[in-house]
Amino acid sequence: MVIGIIHIIVSPVLALIIGIFFLGLSRKIMARIHWRYGPPLYQPVIDIIKLFSQKGVSHGFMFDLGVILSLTGCIVVILFIPFGALCPLSSSGGLLVILYLMLLAPLAMALSGGEGANPNISIGISRKLILSLGYEVPFLLILLTLMTHYKTISIVELVEIQQDTGWALFSLPLSLSGISYFLILPAIMGVRPFDIVSAPQEIASGLNAEYGSKYLGLITIEHGLSLFIGTALFVNLFLGGAHNPAIFFIKILLVFILVLFINAVFPRFRTEQAIKFLWGVPTLFAFLGLIMSLIFK
Amino acid sequence: MDRNKITKWLKSPGKMSNKYSLWAIYFCTGCGIIEIPPVITSRWDAERFGVIPVATPRQANLFMITGYVSVKTLRAIIRTYEQMPEPKYTVGFGSCPINGGMYWDSYNTIKHLDKYIPVDGWIAGCMPRPEAVFVAVTHLWTLIDKGMANGYVKYREKYTLYRNNQEKVLGELDWQPLYPTDGKDE
Repeated sequence: MVIGIIHIIVSPVLALIIGIFFLGLSRKIMARIHWRYGPPLYQPVIDIIKLFSQKGVSHGFMFDLGVILSLTGCIVVILFIPFGALCPLSSSGGLLVILYLMLLAPLAMALSGGEGANPNISIGISRKLILSLGYEVPFLLILLTLMTHYKTISIVELVEIQQDTGWALFSLPLSLSGISYFLILPAIMGVRPFDIVSAPQEIASGLNAEYGSKYLGLITIEHGLSLFIGTALFVNLFLGGAHNPAIFFIKILLVFILVLFINAVFPRFRTEQAIKFLWGVPTLFAFLGLIMSLIFK
Repeated sequence: MDRNKITKWLKSPGKMSNKYSLWAIYFCTGCGIIEIPPVITSRWDAERFGVIPVATPRQANLFMITGYVSVKTLRAIIRTYEQMPEPKYTVGFGSCPINGGMYWDSYNTIKHLDKYIPVDGWIAGCMPRPEAVFVAVTHLWTLIDKGMANGYVKYREKYTLYRNNQEKVLGELDWQPLYPTDGKDE
C-alpha cells in the first residue's frame, strides 16, 4: 500500500526529470549538428523558472483549466507505463487505457486554445487534431497486432513475455509493426518533420501563440512529458522494456537520440503531406504486420 | 560567467532566470533583417547566451527594434510591447530608433523611440555588426543585475506621459489604456 503510493509519486517525478533532460539534450544535440556551441544542458530549467516568475495574462476560466487538464492527461498516462520495474497502476487496464488517455492531452489543449480567440490558435488546434487522427490509425493497428500476438492487453505482461522470448522488434511479424511505430514516433512526440502544430515560421507557434508566462511553463513541461511517453512506449512495446530503471533509461535515451537525428535533418511536412505519409507507409506496414501475425500464429 | 553561482540563484531566482533566458522578439522594421539571422543561426549562435527567437509577444521578454520606425509601425510596436509579460526589456538596434539617423528630416518616421515606449539599451551604428547584439545582451545582464533595466516599471509609473506622447503622433488610439491613467481620456 505505502510502496504503491510512493511509486505513484516517484514515477511522474522521474518522468518529469527525464523529460526536461530530454529538452535540454535536444537543444544541445541540435546545436552541435548545426555546428554551434549551443546552450548549457540545464537551459530548460532556467527557462521554466523564468516562465513561472513572469506575470502573465489569462483569457478566461477554460484557458487555465485546459492547460492543467492536458498536463494531467500526460501524468496519468505515465502512471500506466512501466518504467523498468516501476509501474504504479500495472494491474488495471493496460494498453486500452493508454490508448484512450493519450487523446486527452490534445483535446484539452484544443479546449483551452479555443478561449484564446486567436486565428493562429484555431489553425494550430485543427492541425493538432488532424495529426492525432493521422497517427491514431497506424497506432491502433500496431497495438492490435501486439495484443493478438501475445494474447494480452497488459503492458506489464507484454514486457515480461519479451524478457523471456526476445524483443518484439526482432521477431518477424512484429518487426513490421516496430518499423511502423518508429515511423510515426516523431508525430506522437510532435517533432520535425511533424511539427506542423507549433510551426513558428508559418502560424506564429500555432497552438502556443497566446500562451505566455506560467501557461507556457506548464506547456513546456507537458512537451517534455510527451517526449518521455513516446519513447517509453516504444521501448516497452518493442525493445523488451527492462527490469532495471537504469537500463530502461539507456534504452529510451538511445531511441530519443535517433528521433533527434530525424528531427535535425528533415524539414517540416505540410498538413496534407503529413496525413498522406502517416496513412501511407506506416499504416501499410502495420496492416501487413497484423495480417502476418494472424496467419503465422 | 556566474551562471553557476548557487547563492545568487537561491537569493533571487526570478532575476537570475530572466537574465539567462532572454527570449527575443525581433521587430525588423526596415533594415536589420540581414543582421539578425546570422546572430541566431550557426555563425554567431545566440542560443549559447540563452537568447532564442520566439514568434509571438506573449512568450517574449526581450524586444529588439531594428531600423527606422515609421508612424505606421509605431502603432504595432506599442501593441507588441504592451502584450509582453513583465518583466520585459527593450533594446533599440541601429541609429534610427535613437535619433532618426539618416531619416532625421523625414516627415513620417519617429525620431526618438524612447518618447513612446521605454528603452533599456541602445546599440548605435548604421548598421551595427551582429556581434553588437552580444555586447548588448551582456550589458543588459549587468543592468538587470544592478536593477537598472527597469523600463517596464517606468512605463507603468509614467503611463499617462507615454500615452499622451503616443496620442500626439497617432491621434486617437483604438485600444484601452494598459494601466489606469490620471488624465483626460478617462
